[in-house]
Amino acid sequence: MASIGRKNVGWLLGAIALTLVIAACGGGTPEAEPEPEPQVADTRDAAADSAARAAEAKRRAEAEEARRREAERDRVVTIATERVFFDFDKSNIRADAEPVLQRKVSVLREYPDITIRIEGNCDDRGSVEYNLALGQRRAEAVRRYLISYGLDTSRFTVISYGEERPLDRAQDEKAWAQNRRDDFVITNYGRLGAGD
Amino acid sequence: MRLSMRLAGRMTRPGSWGMPAPVGQALFVRAAVLLVAALILAPDPAVAQEPERDSIPTDVRVGIVYQPAFRPGIVMPPVAAPDELRDLADSTRTIILRDLDQSDHFQVMGVGEDVPLKGPVNYALWDQLGAVWLLIAAIEGPPDSPVLRLSLHDVVFKLLQEVQAFELPPLHHPDMRLALHIAADNVVGWATGSTGMAATKVAYVAEGPGGSEIYVVDSDGYGVRRLSNDSSIALSPAWSPSGDRIAFMSYKDGDPAIYGLSLNPGRSTLLIDLPGMDLTPAYSPDGTVLAFGSTVEGRTEIFTYDLTRRCCPERATFARYSNSLSPTFSPDGKRIAFNSDRLGQLHIFVKDMQNVSAELVTPYIYDRSVHNAGPDWSPKGDRIAFHGWVRGTAQIFTVAPNGRGLRQLTQTSRNEDPSWAPDGRHIVFSSTRSGSDGLWVLDVVSGRIRELVRGRAVRLPAWSGNLDSLSYTYPNPYPSNEAAVGSGSNNP
Repeated sequence: MASIGRKNVGWLLGAIALTLVIAACGGGTPEAEPEPEPQVADTRDAAADSAARAAEAKRRAEAEEARRREAERDRVVTIATERVFFDFDKSNIRADAEPVLQRKVSVLREYPDITIRIEGNCDDRGSVEYNLALGQRRAEAVRRYLISYGLDTSRFTVISYGEERPLDRAQDEKAWAQNRRDDFVITNYGRLGAGD
Repeated sequence: MRLSMRLAGRMTRPGSWGMPAPVGQALFVRAAVLLVAALILAPDPAVAQEPERDSIPTDVRVGIVYQPAFRPGIVMPPVAAPDELRDLADSTRTIILRDLDQSDHFQVMGVGEDVPLKGPVNYALWDQLGAVWLLIAAIEGPPDSPVLRLSLHDVVFKLLQEVQAFELPPLHHPDMRLALHIAADNVVGWATGSTGMAATKVAYVAEGPGGSEIYVVDSDGYGVRRLSNDSSIALSPAWSPSGDRIAFMSYKDGDPAIYGLSLNPGRSTLLIDLPGMDLTPAYSPDGTVLAFGSTVEGRTEIFTYDLTRRCCPERATFARYSNSLSPTFSPDGKRIAFNSDRLGQLHIFVKDMQNVSAELVTPYIYDRSVHNAGPDWSPKGDRIAFHGWVRGTAQIFTVAPNGRGLRQLTQTSRNEDPSWAPDGRHIVFSSTRSGSDGLWVLDVVSGRIRELVRGRAVRLPAWSGNLDSLSYTYPNPYPSNEAAVGSGSNNP
């Protein structure tokens, strides 16, 4: 529909242009008067033009800056909130989680005013109550890891949701592996700004 | 001599694999030995427990060993009542008969149309029909204060065992069912000498409108009621011994903490909020102490809290690199059983409240995914129920507090978080056996099982103590109704 609409507008513009040309040709009266006025208009136009150019450049630069900030914000948020996963009934940091946490360390060093809530989660095979304790250890394990790189303790809070917040409710190893995780919630964005 | 041989044999050879004699003979010898053992050693509790290694109580009475599966017949003719109490009389009979059946102490028998009910009790007739007990009921008095008169007759010995009048609440009072359950529990007590469990409730967790909430249901599956209203995550309800309060864990203020809930009117208040997460509350049997799990350096340890002084959380477990949680008190309040992963597997432990060390109760199995959790100490003290994995699926077990006599009670589907009834004989647990989430009640003696409630994410049941001591408020506080009646009488 949109493309058809656009095509129709094209036809419409073409038709108008054609009508104007025909009208101009038809009325072929030699009324063209080269007057000095255009010169005045020219200088005025040049000033306006350069101002507009500057404004446009500024606007572009600002947009560029906003885009860059947005991209940076996305990068930081993505890294800060990337999940880490755990083995069954374990709370130790897996090898594949280390690069994820390393990226967090560098981002959190870059933005020292960001604070984060670490949320431990479990799959639902174990006891409901034991999973609360296990989730707590999973959150705590990651906090310890981050603190061990010199990040301030006060920047992290931990909470366990046990098996109460599964990502995938299916009963298979793929779903369980998804649910054995730490989620990361940014509680203070600092100079990153809360964004939209 | 024979006795000691038998006991030794039992200890070294589990089951009866080693029995050389033919089965019938072996059974006879066993029965004889059992009888002798029971007669000689019944007064000594330590030895009397020996035949119960698989936890089937052998009820010794006048020299007769009752088979656990044997349930004496009880018959209850229709309840006599004036016309205006006819409906109450009918529901009274329905409720009491269901309670007697669910007590698993009796075989409830029907009454034929042709059985004459008028006149003096015809013991010979009831005996001939196979009844051991005869329960005769009548309801009298005005509708705003009816009285239920129950008399229990021993048909075999042809005597009136017990008779009692029970004051009932006014008609349609919400406590009417509870009053009838209390009457039924009395009948169980007269006939068996042990408490019934009809006048009890089960608290549990289920999916509510805005999260998981605490619910409560009567022991017979009636009267489901939502107690909490926090639209958060509520878990692990635990009854106060008096039966009028429930402690539970909630995320309602963000940080998981322990809250208290009174049954009336049902508003939760903060009980305990230590740094980190507070979870799995349990009342001591005298109601003065609350044990619970709480975060210590990222792991979970058990604490106690003085409810009378409302202060002083004290550490009760000390396992540096592991979790301890889900405490449950022994009936004397001196010990707790709890859940811990301190051996690298999840196990049930028992510890003296005064001692630091804890003893392993569930069997350690190398190289297996052992996952034992959710312990609940029987109010009789002799068993601890818990759930443990069998080929990766949770099943209900019981074990003696000294780790002996492990017994698996369920086989099919996933069964978790057992909780004992005050009779020490019934267990409620969550199960997926019907294809959906539900709570089920199992009689550990006969193996009879029934569904209590069904619903989305129904779990973590906790059975109350006997609610017999709850007093009703007479006359019934129906302020609106009374006002209506009052104004009605004033209005011509």
